[in-house]
Amino acid sequence: MTWAQATTVAAREIRVRARTRAFRVITGILVLVAIAGPTAAALWPEGDDDLRSVTVGLVDVDDATAEQIAAFAATRLDLTFRPYAASARADLDRDLSDGEIDVALEAGPTLVWDRAADPQIAAVLHGALQQLDALSRGRELGLGDDEIAKMLTPVEIGERHAQPSNQPRGLAMAVAMIGLMAAFLLPQLYGQLAMMSVVEEKSTRVIEVLLSHLRPRTLLMGKVVGIGALAMAQLAVVVCGLVAALLVTDAFDVPSAIWQFVPVFVIAIVGGLAIYNTLFALLGSLISRQEDASQVMLPVFIPLMAGFFVAQATVAGSANPTLVRVLTLFPLTAPMLLPIRVALETIEPWEIALSLGLLALGVWLLIRIAGRVYEFTLLHTGSRVGWGQLLRLSRGSAID
Amino acid sequence: MSSGLGVHGLHKKFGDTVALDGVDLDVPRGRLVGFLGPNGAGKTTTMRGILGLSAMDAGAVTWEGRPMTEQDRHHIGYMPQERGLYQGMRVLEHIAYIGRIAGLDARTAEERAGRWADRVGLADRGDDRVQELSTGNQQRVQLAVALVHEPQLLVLDEPFAGLDPVAVSMLSEIMAEQVDNGVSVVFSSHQLDVVQELAEYVTIVAGGRTRATGTVTDLRNSSPHRRLEIRWAGAVPSWSPPDGVAEPSPHGVSRFLVPARSDAAALIADASSAGGLAAVSFEPPSLGDVFLELART
Repeated sequence: MTWAQATTVAAREIRVRARTRAFRVITGILVLVAIAGPTAAALWPEGDDDLRSVTVGLVDVDDATAEQIAAFAATRLDLTFRPYAASARADLDRDLSDGEIDVALEAGPTLVWDRAADPQIAAVLHGALQQLDALSRGRELGLGDDEIAKMLTPVEIGERHAQPSNQPRGLAMAVAMIGLMAAFLLPQLYGQLAMMSVVEEKSTRVIEVLLSHLRPRTLLMGKVVGIGALAMAQLAVVVCGLVAALLVTDAFDVPSAIWQFVPVFVIAIVGGLAIYNTLFALLGSLISRQEDASQVMLPVFIPLMAGFFVAQATVAGSANPTLVRVLTLFPLTAPMLLPIRVALETIEPWEIALSLGLLALGVWLLIRIAGRVYEFTLLHTGSRVGWGQLLRLSRGSAID
Repeated sequence: MSSGLGVHGLHKKFGDTVALDGVDLDVPRGRLVGFLGPNGAGKTTTMRGILGLSAMDAGAVTWEGRPMTEQDRHHIGYMPQERGLYQGMRVLEHIAYIGRIAGLDARTAEERAGRWADRVGLADRGDDRVQELSTGNQQRVQLAVALVHEPQLLVLDEPFAGLDPVAVSMLSEIMAEQVDNGVSVVFSSHQLDVVQELAEYVTIVAGGRTRATGTVTDLRNSSPHRRLEIRWAGAVPSWSPPDGVAEPSPHGVSRFLVPARSDAAALIADASSAGGLAAVSFEPPSLGDVFLELART
């Protein structure tokens, strides 16, 4: 009957929490925020199509040449031309100085800048002028336009890195940050729900009725699973909203490689929820009143904050590599480090396997210890159970 | 009569405080037993020991003559002294939830929840949250929660506390029904008049130890005292029985506590020589008096 009892407890936790107004409102807001990003990107595109407009002064350059240059530069700049007479150099210099024109092209060819050259305009115009010259030489050599076009087709250049890059990788990094935030925030929010649930059962004495029918460990398991499932359901609803918005708006080209991260993310978040929900529930059993919650919560926030800040430092490339490796293997910080390191591709497969294995082991051990402590602390009322007593209980000793 | 619940020599210490120092209690099948004692006597600790909520230092709890198992405990209905309810849950949902925890399937739990809500007089409050109910009605929910899985043993800690007379009557009726169905029922209460009315058997504990056990009649008869009450026809004379202790009395009445060995006929004859008698009673002390005598020793 133990499993049936645990699922009954879990179902109650889900039902009672999910129907609160606060839960529904927060979930709704999170879904709206998730949908808003891709929708905004679709409605107001940053615009690869919006080419930079550049005005070029022309001195002794004919219209046909100018049109050819504009055609060569068309994929990168939107060029507009303003002709100047050779005798009107003073006007040209003034217009350059006033910003009326961005650059001038003199026969020769020579590019005239106000002071410093603009790297993008310079690169595009240099390329266009090189192509124009190659076209002219090709015609002089008797080549046809098709042959010249084939000759001018740019070569595709690949890239290889001797060392893995530590730089964020666009959408992959965005997904990793979502994973980090979920691994950091969900255990806090839902762990405290687990804690309050235990305190409620103690303070109302409903715990006596429950424990007359089921074992403390079964109650704990049901609570951890139920509240964890609710957290994952909320996350799933938000992610579904985001994915639906991405598919409908087609705002971003989501690389298929991102989906390879998802299993690790999900396992890390589930593990984090299991371990922190258990820890918070255990601490809830030490106290009898909700007002005393702050007295016992602090120790749980230390590994949570440590994991979060080291994960952020890892993104910035400023974290100590040894510390990062150690915290990736430590069950209380692994849920935050894993998503980041997987997204950055700075983790070996064996490290992922070891980290997840240690996380599972940590959850199992903690549930065993918590179950043992629970048997003594759940019916304890009045003053809170001290840390020394908790240590003795976790080792299997009884307290009075 | 089958053996039902047996509690033998329970001992329990909390630090240096001795909570139980040898409690014995028997609740045969189909019997209603009042479990009495002053505050701190060890009643709640004994009940927690029966339910397995608290590990005992020594002693044994048996069911049907053998050590009580975890499986046996699934057949206990428990009503704690303080309201043990989720305040935010709805009445029917709450009763069914405990039914599910106690091992009923979902359909049976819901059907029983409706039946018991109706039986305890809350048929029209099934969709209300527990926190919206009065203290007495919450106690009714608590009773339904204890009964939803149709237990073989009912352990009720102060079930009458906070109930109005109508609810006391309803609860007494349900307890009697359960006994008729063969359920063993043990309950604690400070309302000794209700206990005397309801329970045939009582066990009295004080200082963590069983002080007396038996039928209410036997316990009353075992008292070393008798209560002599005389209603005088005229003015109250200054008569008092030999070895008697006068007790507070209303106008026109004299009450005395006399040794049980006293000759009632001789006392009445002696009193009639002092003044006219309208009515005389000579009987064992009430359960409340017996309780007080034991609690003071």
